[in-house]
Amino acid sequence: MLAPGGRRRRGRALAVAGGALLAAALAGVAVGAVGLPFGGVVSSLLAHVGVHVGTPLPPVEDAILVQWRLPRVVLSALVGGVLALAGASYQGVFRNPLADPYLLGAAAGAGLGATVMIGWGPTQLGPLGTVPAAAFVGSLTGVGLAYALGSVASRQGGGSATLLLAGVAVSSFLTAGQSLAQQAHAEDLRQIYSWIMGQLGTAQWSDVVLVLPYMAVSVTVLLVSGPVLDVLAVGDDEAATLGVRPRRVRLVVLLAASLGTASAVAVSGLIGFVGLVVPHVVRRLAGASYRTVLPVSLVGGAAFLVLADLVARTALAPAELPIGVVTAFVGAPFFAALLRAGGGRAR
Amino acid sequence: MTGPADGGPGRLQVRGLGVTLGRAEVLRDVSLTVEPGSWTAVIGPNGAGKSTLLRALVGLVRHRGSVLLDGRDLDRAAPRERARQLGYAPQSPVLPDGVSVREYVQLGRTPYHSLLAGPRHGDGGIVDEALHRLDLDAMAGRSLRTLSGGERQRAVLARALAQQPRILLLDEPTTALDLGHAQALLELIDRLRAADGLAVLSTLHDLTLAGQYAQSVVLLTGGRVAAAGLPREVLTASAVATHYGASAEVMADGSGVRVMPVRPA
Amino acid sequence: MLARTRSSRQALRALLVTLALTATAACGSSSSGGAAPSSPSPAASTTASSPSADAFPATVTADNGPVTVAARPKAIVSLSPTLTDMLFELGAGSQVKAVDALSDVPKEAPRTTLSGFQPNAEAIAGYAPDLVVVSYDIGGLVSALGKLKVPVLLLGAPRTIADSYTQELALGRATGHVAEAQRVADATRAQIAEAVASVPKGAAPGRVYHEVDQTYYSVTSATFIGDLYRQFGLVNIADSAPQAAGGYPKLSAEFVVKAAPTLIVLADEGCCHQTAATVAARPAFATIPAVATHRVLAVDDDTASRWGPSLGVFADKIAVILTAAR
Repeated sequence: MLAPGGRRRRGRALAVAGGALLAAALAGVAVGAVGLPFGGVVSSLLAHVGVHVGTPLPPVEDAILVQWRLPRVVLSALVGGVLALAGASYQGVFRNPLADPYLLGAAAGAGLGATVMIGWGPTQLGPLGTVPAAAFVGSLTGVGLAYALGSVASRQGGGSATLLLAGVAVSSFLTAGQSLAQQAHAEDLRQIYSWIMGQLGTAQWSDVVLVLPYMAVSVTVLLVSGPVLDVLAVGDDEAATLGVRPRRVRLVVLLAASLGTASAVAVSGLIGFVGLVVPHVVRRLAGASYRTVLPVSLVGGAAFLVLADLVARTALAPAELPIGVVTAFVGAPFFAALLRAGGGRAR
Repeated sequence: MTGPADGGPGRLQVRGLGVTLGRAEVLRDVSLTVEPGSWTAVIGPNGAGKSTLLRALVGLVRHRGSVLLDGRDLDRAAPRERARQLGYAPQSPVLPDGVSVREYVQLGRTPYHSLLAGPRHGDGGIVDEALHRLDLDAMAGRSLRTLSGGERQRAVLARALAQQPRILLLDEPTTALDLGHAQALLELIDRLRAADGLAVLSTLHDLTLAGQYAQSVVLLTGGRVAAAGLPREVLTASAVATHYGASAEVMADGSGVRVMPVRPA
Repeated sequence: MLARTRSSRQALRALLVTLALTATAACGSSSSGGAAPSSPSPAASTTASSPSADAFPATVTADNGPVTVAARPKAIVSLSPTLTDMLFELGAGSQVKAVDALSDVPKEAPRTTLSGFQPNAEAIAGYAPDLVVVSYDIGGLVSALGKLKVPVLLLGAPRTIADSYTQELALGRATGHVAEAQRVADATRAQIAEAVASVPKGAAPGRVYHEVDQTYYSVTSATFIGDLYRQFGLVNIADSAPQAAGGYPKLSAEFVVKAAPTLIVLADEGCCHQTAATVAARPAFATIPAVATHRVLAVDDDTASRWGPSLGVFADKIAVILTAAR
């Protein structure tokens, strides 16, 4: 797909994004509500992999670094990367630059699931929290409902425009259900809103382990879908004449993207703008071929969310801002600038 | 290097093709044959079903009847297999944003490589050759959107050529092209046809162009084949009057058939 | 386009809720200044303590400004569990006609399906009240009741304990139980002082972390809970959060670990199933002095969210855990 120039461009873009992620990760690990000396941080990290250099941190600080900060940075990277990748995939499948991973009811379903579980269910079953599972199931159910509705609603079935409308309908319905559930349990409002606004503050290694399998599957499938999304860009009809089965491709990509989105949402609540803005930036800087956009969005999204989380936990330290607010504050004006600049190039 | 990839003469036989869209019967009992390496033009008044016919042949529309390529049932073939045999250029192609001409033509190689693996090693050469034959070398790196109408038509054609098909199905390839560009494009197609032994099945609005370039003409009216055969057999003044409701003078000579509209008396 | 609008709406909603939560913390605990200056010394209270002080009409200052109660109320409606508790302690129980669904103290309070979080002015009016007491003004309730010519006292979560006493005095004036109100306030004051005195003072002041939920929401000293800890001479680790974060900042696990509190109070047992055991199981929390010395106090959500007479109960619990064998 990519000419030699394109491949070089992709390599460069990946290198830049990778560098940004590395820098962000280092900053994320070194900076936090608790001031840790940078040398100590590096020494401690190296000590954990068996390299003894310099003076590592004392036990409490070391525990903070390894048990709380490191998993938080890792989870931010995972969630940010998956959301950006899913967003780019949705944009490719719907041929719509304004698609985001929550388009087909993933967010509305997760919100409803979490609200119902917080309001009516036990939020802990032994050591396991039940809200993530409820959000995960709710998210996939939302997408499933939208897909089913879209397939039934039109004779062609599964066409992207129909799916989009089905997604709007299902999202609205589930959001209304969530509002209703919220009203019934107004005393849980803070907990519910806290979940909705997104939070990485309770990230532990157990969360990382929990979502890793789903994210791995999602990321693997999506990363290889670059070439086929490029073909889909010419429309369902022409893609079919080039030997592709658009509906099948759409189903597979949507499934993988929704799996990733659901697992991200399960551990971190609803974090907006990542899936929408990061792919756009990547396209602007590295070209529109999905063979480039997908992997660079994955890495770029990871860097973006690690940085956003860093801001969220240092701006008002030791208090924290909800991460959804930070991404919106960064994303909204950025997106507005993007639209203004790219207005003439719009489809 | 660009040429039909598989063996076999490449004869397309359509028998009893019928298409019903909603409650309307758009095509009824359409039969035609495209001889290997020949140019068949499908003509007819607006709404006769010309585009639908092409779309049905490429598998975009459900149809009755049979479509055979060298005796093999194309409808049973997998989409990738069909894509290697039939190259299709629609009337209004979708031009994706942010894609270069080379990347766009590269899409024509899709039927030949696994979607997961991405392009194969030999693809670059085939793409380059398609670009070259359609005189697109200079703009290979430019964004598709920056091309003029004529250049875009050539890019779509290059993509279809990159598929190395045996039959090119072109829906109104001269849409929005001025006379000069239309002529140039059709000359180009004819040269390619001769060089690669490609068969061409195209719908054409302009009756004279059909009369000049096609070896065989099929006249569709109201979804049925009203006439088929050599251009001079099908393109007659009375046929034009009957099926188009237009008054014209028809002249046939060595270069082909010309249809010249004449104001009604 | 729809996706962008929804994301923007999400962002706007997030922003508004953040502001609302901050504002609620600020407004809800704004000083419910009564006629008396908020001073901790009991003698400074200027409200007379003789029966003739129960005069009507009485003008009382609440969060919603001065309110005039024309005659001794006989049909009080309370939408606040704290205020219900106060009313009965003051001896005004017989004057209470209806209380909200969550007012479970005392047990004999006439509970109904009224809600303090989603108040319905019509439903309230259905009880023909001559005084309504609430802690939150939601959905324009105060002005709606004002249109129905029903006096409303808005007495929200106080910022200091002294404000809590002032509220009790205000209720006493409004219901004709001034003397009892003074007595109740004095009793609570004494109970708290006794609890504080019972804790031996160590060389360094203790540090407290009050957990509102398991995402590390805490309270600063600008709340009545925070004020209680201050009376015990405890340093509240949440106080290092900047003002901008409001009275209920969200902290982080790493900060709590590093701040090494000597007392942890869990107010999230009911809502979020947090106990001393679950806290100790959190990574790195075993290093916290409070966990190591078993000074983790789980209080039920009601104790942690109500003021008034229950402050004395809370103070006792704190004293018990602080004086328990280390």
